[in-house]
Amino acid sequence: MIRIFKEKRDIPENMDYVELNDLFFDQNTVSLIDKRAEKIIETIDGAKLISKYKIGSRFSDVVLDIDRLSSGCKTVLNVLYYPDKVFCLKECGNNALEILYGLDRGQVCSEYAMIPFSLPSVIAQTKAGQRVIGDYEELKEWWSDEK
Amino acid sequence: MKSKPLVMERFSTVHSSFSVDFLFKNNITILMGDSGTGKTVVFSFIRECMALNPKILCLNYLDYQRNIKKVISQEEGRLIVIDNADILLDDDARKYISLDDKNQYLIIGRNPKNLFATRENLFELVCRQAGERREFTIKEYL
Repeated sequence: MIRIFKEKRDIPENMDYVELNDLFFDQNTVSLIDKRAEKIIETIDGAKLISKYKIGSRFSDVVLDIDRLSSGCKTVLNVLYYPDKVFCLKECGNNALEILYGLDRGQVCSEYAMIPFSLPSVIAQTKAGQRVIGDYEELKEWWSDEK
Repeated sequence: MKSKPLVMERFSTVHSSFSVDFLFKNNITILMGDSGTGKTVVFSFIRECMALNPKILCLNYLDYQRNIKKVISQEEGRLIVIDNADILLDDDARKYISLDDKNQYLIIGRNPKNLFATRENLFELVCRQAGERREFTIKEYL
């Protein structure tokens, strides 16, 4: 179950927060890419993982460096490979959110609601405490509540 | 918010086997949609045009350290294209953009907050095969 922080100030001081998912992926996550990334890359970006650093583009028959993945896909992979860090959620499209919310572990942050149409349970976390939410409307309400 | 494009009603370019043909209906176009649809790819094609076209200014996460409001407030007569807008634009920059009558904007992001946007400002990318080329256009976001 993933954990969602509503505000950056809700994130404990001993946890790293990453806002630039592209940069973090290109510098860190990229070296950890393995079989686990295959389905995620294919589902979100329609691309095929050819080797650790190469993908087959959905737009043409060319092989591209893996840095060409979308920001949304990179965010999901960052969360997958670094479940103890908190990543900015804002650059995920709905297709990336659907995958991200289904991960077993991971932590994300956004000040405004970023909710996929099909929602598994998540941990909604603020400084005041945490609660498990598995309903779209309830999560939307939690996000829009006054801080 | 509906207002006529100030700088250009159409932008088109070609990059190898790709082409881009955007028809702008408003001064602020917000390009949204799923991840992996090619928004950043198109941004890179537009950015390439900056080399020859003085009317285009492109900003993305590489400009994260810059004061975006200050940067755009010094511009006039430009199509300002902003990728990674959801992390790049703070409330101040958004409010400035919404009232800017000197420049036109193509904003790649999903959060229209403080841009005074209506559905008429929201667009998504369309990609279709045209012969040997892949053509990117925009359509209203549903």
